Amino acid sequence: MQVQELVGIVPWTFIAQICNLFLQVYLIKRFLFKPINNILAKRKEMADAQIQDAVKAREEAEAMKSQYEQDMIQAKNKANEIVVSAQKTATAQSEELLREASRQAAAMKNKAEADIEQEKRKAVNEIKDEIGGMAMEIAGKVIEREISEEDHAKLIDDFIANVGETS
Amino acid sequence: MDLDISGAKVYFTIPTDIPILGDLQISETIVVSWIVMLLITGLCIWLTHDLKVENISKRQALAEMLVEQANKFVVGNMGEKFRHMIPFVAALFVTSVVSNLISLIGLRSPTADLTTEAAWAVVVFIMITAQKIKTGGFGGYLKGFTTPIAIMTPFNVLSELATPISMACRHFGNILSGVVINGLIYGALAVASSALLGLLPGVLGNVLSQIPILDVGIPAVLSVYFDWFSGFMQAFIFCMLTVMYIANAAEE
Repeated sequence: MQVQELVGIVPWTFIAQICNLFLQVYLIKRFLFKPINNILAKRKEMADAQIQDAVKAREEAEAMKSQYEQDMIQAKNKANEIVVSAQKTATAQSEELLREASRQAAAMKNKAEADIEQEKRKAVNEIKDEIGGMAMEIAGKVIEREISEEDHAKLIDDFIANVGETS
Repeated sequence: MDLDISGAKVYFTIPTDIPILGDLQISETIVVSWIVMLLITGLCIWLTHDLKVENISKRQALAEMLVEQANKFVVGNMGEKFRHMIPFVAALFVTSVVSNLISLIGLRSPTADLTTEAAWAVVVFIMITAQKIKTGGFGGYLKGFTTPIAIMTPFNVLSELATPISMACRHFGNILSGVVINGLIYGALAVASSALLGLLPGVLGNVLSQIPILDVGIPAVLSVYFDWFSGFMQAFIFCMLTVMYIANAAEE
């Protein structure tokens, strides 16, 4: 078999090796660098997306927290308001009740006084009548004669007037 | 015992008879180069099939590591603007390494043929020159030869031409020396085992002395340096020089 020189440059082999080198560059680019770089880029994209998601989630959480705090403050204020207004209402009601009670008591007292007055008057009238009758009887007995109608009435009135003054 | 260390075998010749180029010879160098390319491409396809973004396999981790290493090597030595050079440098390195190591399976290294390294070195030389012209313009490139003084011009031209020659010859010399030394060791050990076993008496000695028993194992130890170390080292040096020369050409 024919053998080339140990140290020498063969033109066709030279050209072939240059072509081989560039072919190899293309092949290694196509089959190693392209897929791996794609994957690396994809992974980077994913990591970036995750970081962005995390940042967004944190922002949302912070917004929620501030909202919650605001709500809490509002709720506290409202509770305070309710308590204050309840206290006010209670005070007003109790005052109203007291007033009502005292008014009722006053009314009852008045009524009782009026009743007493009336009873007294009634009793006085009864006594008047009785005393009138008694006086008539006594007078009839004393003078033993029938008094005229006019004298009769006049006598009673005088007597009552006297009784009224004395009683 | 004859020891024959020759150039690449020619499997068949296609007579083209073009002046200067001569006949197209399909030599061992070309065939083994194709085998090397097939191996590398197959390896790349195997490494990158079934890629995933998450929960990656060891195979994918290795592929990613190799790519990252190539990126780091080129970008670290040349800067960010030479990103497009990454596949070229990677191809140069991996072709060189696989070509150097393919001698381990008994094939003749394509890099044991000066033509291969010369082809690579010329490509690199053209890249360096193109980069120089791109950086300083054609006038600036020519002017560069007259620095520091005009009388230095011949030496500058010489040193410029020495770049590809030294790159090619350094790589070739190391690989060829490995081939030569391995050949010598195999030959010497065959002779030694024949002499040693020939001491055995009678037919036994005659039969055993035909088998080069010492050739098993011992050359493997030496090939750690001459094939493995030298193979990686020369590939690395070639790529390092390529990267450095082009990066230097881009400066100024």
